[in-house]
Amino acid sequence: MKKRLPKIGFHFFCTIIYVFLLAPIVVVLMSSLTATDYIVFPPKGLTLRWYVELVNHPEFMQSFMLSVFVALGTSLISTAIGTLTSIAIVRHQFKGKTAIVQLVGSPLLIPSVVFGVALLQFYSWIGLAASPAALIIGHIILTIPFVMRLVVASLVGFDRSIEQAAMNLGAGKFRVFFQITLPIIKSGVIAGAIFSFITSFDDLTVALFIVSTDVVTLPVRIFTYMQYQYDPIITSVSSIMILLTIVLMIIIERVLGVGKVFASKNQ
Amino acid sequence: MMQKKRKKTKKQLETWALLLPILVIFIFFFLLPLFFLFITSFKTFDASSGIANEWTIQNYVKFLSDPFYLGIVWRTVKIALLTTIITIVISYPVAFHISKANGRIKNYLTLLVLSPLLISMVIRCYGWSILLSNNGVVNNTLMSLGWIDKPLTLLYTELSVVIGMVHVLFPYMVLSIMGSLERIDPSVIRASQNLGAGPVRTFFSIVLPLTLPGIFAGSVMVFSLSVSSFVTPAILGGPQVKVMSYLAYEQAAVLLNWPYGAAIGFLLIFIATITIIMYSKILVRSEKGVAIQ
Repeated sequence: MKKRLPKIGFHFFCTIIYVFLLAPIVVVLMSSLTATDYIVFPPKGLTLRWYVELVNHPEFMQSFMLSVFVALGTSLISTAIGTLTSIAIVRHQFKGKTAIVQLVGSPLLIPSVVFGVALLQFYSWIGLAASPAALIIGHIILTIPFVMRLVVASLVGFDRSIEQAAMNLGAGKFRVFFQITLPIIKSGVIAGAIFSFITSFDDLTVALFIVSTDVVTLPVRIFTYMQYQYDPIITSVSSIMILLTIVLMIIIERVLGVGKVFASKNQ
Repeated sequence: MMQKKRKKTKKQLETWALLLPILVIFIFFFLLPLFFLFITSFKTFDASSGIANEWTIQNYVKFLSDPFYLGIVWRTVKIALLTTIITIVISYPVAFHISKANGRIKNYLTLLVLSPLLISMVIRCYGWSILLSNNGVVNNTLMSLGWIDKPLTLLYTELSVVIGMVHVLFPYMVLSIMGSLERIDPSVIRASQNLGAGPVRTFFSIVLPLTLPGIFAGSVMVFSLSVSSFVTPAILGGPQVKVMSYLAYEQAAVLLNWPYGAAIGFLLIFIATITIIMYSKILVRSEKGVAIQ
C-alpha cells in the first residue's frame, strides 16, 4: 500500500500531461460542430453547417491546393538535393567538408523570421514575385537539414560490398544507385521526404513574408483570417486538416510503420 | 601514375557535381540574402524608399539603449527560460513512463506524444486560444467551480505564450530524455538495488545523473527554438506580448522599416547564439562533474 500511492500519483500526473497534449486538438475538432455564429467550447447544438459553409469560401480550397503543391515540390527537390549531398559527405573525401556540413545545418540556427525578411528583401531586389517557386526555394532551405540528418544516418551503416558486387557484375553507376543504393537507404529517404512535406505544409513564418494577395498558403490564410474574423469556419478548416493528418498517419503507419519513421528522426 | 591522377580528378569532379545543386541554392538563396540583410541593418531608414543609402549604427544603438526594447529582450529570454524549465519538469516523468512501458502500449504512447508534431502549429495554437479565451473552457470551469467571479485574462499574456510554447516543444524534450534513459545499462540499476539503495535513491544517484546529457541536449534545443519562435507568440501573445521575433516581423513587414527590422533580427541571432554557447559551457562543466562523481 505504501508503495502503491506514489505509483498512482505518477500515473495520474502522466495522464494529465497526455490530456494536456491532446486538449487543443480535441477542442478544435469539437468546436467545429457548434451551431452558434461564434466559437464556443463545449459546442452548443450539433451541426455540420460550418463544413457546408466552406463552399462559400473557395479561397481556403485554393490555399490548400497551393500548400499541397508547394509541399510536394519542396519535398521532392529537397529530398533529391539532400540525398546527393549526403552521398558526397558520407562517401567522398574533399576539402571544406566541415564547412559544407555546417553551412547545410545552419538554417536550424537562424530564426525563421530573420530568414523570411532576408528572402523578402532579396526577392524584391531580383524581381522574383510571390509564386509557388519562390515559396518552394525558401522551404527547401528550411527542410534540407532534416533530410540530410535522416539520409546521412541511413548511409552511415551501409554495407558497400553489395554495391561492389553489383559493379563487378557489370552494372553501371546509375544502375547501382537506383537498384542497390536507393532501395537500401529507402527508409531514410522516405522519412526525409515526409518530414520536409510536413515542415513545408506547416510553415507560417517564412511564407508570411513571401505571399501576396493571390498567392496565399493555407497556414497564412488561417492566420490572417483568424485575426479579423471570429466565426467558427476556421475550426472546420482546421478539423479537416487534422483528420487529413490522421488519415495520412495511418497510411504511413501501414506502409512504413510509424515507429520506424520516428526512430530514424530520433537518430 | 597518370592514370591514378586522372582517376582522382574524376572522383573530385563527381564530388563537386553532387554538391553543385546544394551550393547553388544555399549561396544564392541563403547566404546572399542574409548577407544583404546584414548590410541593410547598417543603413538608415527612409520613409519613401525604405532603405536610404547612408551608413549608420543607429539601428543597433537605438535598440540597445531604449528601456522599452531591452524590456522586450528580457521578456523573450524569460519566456524561453520558463518554457525550457517547465518542459524539463513535465517531460521527464512522461519520458520515464514511456521507456518503462512495454510493447504495444509503448508504441501508442510514443505516437501520442509525437503526434502533435505532425499537426499544424497554427492549428494547435488556435486550439489554445479557444481554451484560454475569456469565455473559454478554463475560465468557464473555474467560474462554475466558484473559484473566480469574473474571467481571468489568460489569452494574450506571457502565460498563454508559455503554455503554447511548452505544448509545441514538449515532444523534442521527451525524445531527447527518452534517448538517454534507454541508453542506461539495466545492470547498473540492478547493482544499485543489490547494494541496498531504494528506488528513490537509485533514481537520484544513478538514473538522473546519467540522463543529464539528454536533459541538456533537449534544453538547448527547446531554448533556441523558443527564443526565436514566431508562430506561438504571434497567435497567443499578439501585439500585447511582443517578443523579439514579433518585433522584427512588425518592423519589416508592417512598418516597412527594413533596416530596423534587420538589426533586431541580427540581435536575436546574437542572443540565441550567446545563450547556446553559455549553455554548452555549463554542459561541459556538469559532465565533468558527473564523471568525477
